[in-house]
Amino acid sequence: MTRGKGVAAALFLIPTVLVFGLFSWWPIIRSVVLGFQRTNLVEAATFAGLDNFRTLLADPLLGLAVRNTLLFTGLALVIGFPLPIFLAVLMSELRRGSGLMRVLVYLPVVVPPVVAVLMWKWFYDPDSGLFNQLLGLVGLGPYPWLQSTGMAMPSLVLEATWAGAGGAVLIYLAALSSVPTELYEAAELDGASIWRRLWHVTLPQLRPILLIMLLLQVINTFQVFTEPFVLTDGGPEDSTVTVLLLIYRYAFVNGDYGTAAALSVSLAVVLAVLSAVYLRLTRTWGTK
Amino acid sequence: MDVSASRKWMAGALVLAAATAGCASGSSGEDSGTTTITVAGMPPTTAAKTRKQFLDAVAAFEKANPTIKIKPTDTQWDARTFATRLAGGNAETVLTVPLTEPPGLIARRQVADLSAEIKSLPHAGDFDPRALAPATGADGKVYGLPVTEYALGLVYNRALFTKAGLDPDQPPATWDEVRAAAKKIAGTGVAGYTQMTVKNTGGWILTAMTYSFGGRMEKQEGVKQEGDKYVSSLMDGPAEQALRHLSAMRWQDDSMGANQLRTQQDAERDFAAGKIGMLIGTVNSYNRYTTLYSGKPDDFGIAALPQQGAGKATLLGGLVAAVNAKATAAQRAAAVKWIDFYYLKPNYDPAAAEQLAVANAADKLAVGLPTLPFYGTSVAGPVNTAIAKHANIPVANFAPYVRDTDKLEYVVEPPVAAQDLYGALDTAVQAVLTRKDADPRDELTKAAARVAPLLEKAQ
Repeated sequence: MTRGKGVAAALFLIPTVLVFGLFSWWPIIRSVVLGFQRTNLVEAATFAGLDNFRTLLADPLLGLAVRNTLLFTGLALVIGFPLPIFLAVLMSELRRGSGLMRVLVYLPVVVPPVVAVLMWKWFYDPDSGLFNQLLGLVGLGPYPWLQSTGMAMPSLVLEATWAGAGGAVLIYLAALSSVPTELYEAAELDGASIWRRLWHVTLPQLRPILLIMLLLQVINTFQVFTEPFVLTDGGPEDSTVTVLLLIYRYAFVNGDYGTAAALSVSLAVVLAVLSAVYLRLTRTWGTK
Repeated sequence: MDVSASRKWMAGALVLAAATAGCASGSSGEDSGTTTITVAGMPPTTAAKTRKQFLDAVAAFEKANPTIKIKPTDTQWDARTFATRLAGGNAETVLTVPLTEPPGLIARRQVADLSAEIKSLPHAGDFDPRALAPATGADGKVYGLPVTEYALGLVYNRALFTKAGLDPDQPPATWDEVRAAAKKIAGTGVAGYTQMTVKNTGGWILTAMTYSFGGRMEKQEGVKQEGDKYVSSLMDGPAEQALRHLSAMRWQDDSMGANQLRTQQDAERDFAAGKIGMLIGTVNSYNRYTTLYSGKPDDFGIAALPQQGAGKATLLGGLVAAVNAKATAAQRAAAVKWIDFYYLKPNYDPAAAEQLAVANAADKLAVGLPTLPFYGTSVAGPVNTAIAKHANIPVANFAPYVRDTDKLEYVVEPPVAAQDLYGALDTAVQAVLTRKDADPRDELTKAAARVAPLLEKAQ
């Protein structure tokens, strides 16, 4: 009977495994193989050994792309990571209007990413953009935003933060609702201020979710593509070329699919190692 | 359920899955004496008359060639999806691709050599060599046939010219005159002149400018001992002069506005909105100007590409029809027959030309644009007369372009790793236009260093 149940379960699993295997695992395996091949997608692919990786390492844009990606990730952590926590705590404290606030904060997530990015492209227009128009009213600017190597990357981070904060806020709000109210009551009885309650009750209680959100954010921001692709195409002067944009250029501009796959695999390996190290280091933090 | 039964179930499921997967594989395109080809480029449903004309042409072609079956698609060229469609066996047999693509497609052997099939075409001996040049490889073989070709020129807003006190019938003929006109046109929210700089358009337009300053982007001189290898000629002078000219317009004259990260679409949209006085563009941008961006036909002006110093050349743009390298010999022959029937015939047969012009005019698409003739005057003359009867463009606005472009040499895209070169030059153009202290020579030196190994690898 137990064996019969197991077989039935396996049968039900087959469609899911097939679909998942076909659309997720198979492309991953093909990418890894492609990283070691030379192909024009017409003739049979030939084994290229480590040639694609050598091409990659010889490209001066690689170092720049890695540096830019790290800068994006770093800025997104500084600006984009604390903001949703702050907003979630603020909204959980609201007595009225929290529903409206949730809608407003989540609204950017509903807007299709490319539409949102194109909207920000207009916001950032140095001639007639919304930001320069508004700042001009108070005598500030005009600022070059995307037109300057110094401001372009922070401008991308600002848009990405606006677009992505809503989802994180909802997750934090859900986590906050599970914090036992007795802890706050006890802290209040002990005379703790709102900041001490936040520091000594809220954040420790959120620690497991904070750790996993941090990891997910790092993985997501390492793979930033839409913002630099639509807003700047890596410019000005390659200051916003990211690793994913470089992969795109290898594959779809230059038709060098092997090198594109080699860089994809390298990025996946780096992220996997990073995740493993991070999880190992933080294994005990979430439960302490 | 016992174990053997469950194994049978699982085996059955796997066989079913394998059979389903097998259904996805394509057919060879040749069954019982009939050759089937897929052809891209069918006009969209929004151009109903032209689409009907296309489908009528398919029916007429199939009637005249009973052993050939055509499956048309309205897929437009997209480099992002082409590779995956090619790998999946879904790319069409006949592709229509922009002139920026053939060098890469030829180098990657993704399009077929059509030299043998072309020899049997009507008027094969009458081809203008300039028309075949864009899809001719460094090996001398022809990999595509022209669909439409035009020389890049100076697109300008006639209303802004008049407003600035300039004569729209005497547009700038040199880059010095462009600079002077841009200074007069520039004002609040209006750029006198703009340059596209992203998605490889910066390199593309700088290439046209360099040609007009008397230079080229790649050369074979000096390496004869290594065969016919190309090296970059970015440091030969004209490219630097072009960049210095842009730098002066941007920083000394402040006549290029503040936005220096425009795509081709951005630039054409802003031009139609009256925010740009001049830009380097193509005659067929007139179609997008009127239909996509609602520009006023009377305000659209185009002149030949301005020249400077020793310059007497322009860059060719347009579309060519190529054949998927995976096509069989029979499909290749059928594909060339179709290309001749649909794309070439209206260029040598006045009746076919007039029929197409009538359909385009009914769809409010531009008729009478001054494109490059594919054949010599004896063949092209009667065709042009037939089309001219149905012209719906402000013909006088194209007169400066027609008058001066024919005096120029039509030069094709850089033959090796053109997209790599354009990518590196995007960075140089952006540097010069966004950073006041950027030195054009330094930026070109960096670009030349970046493309040197890529050119080497591509040969």
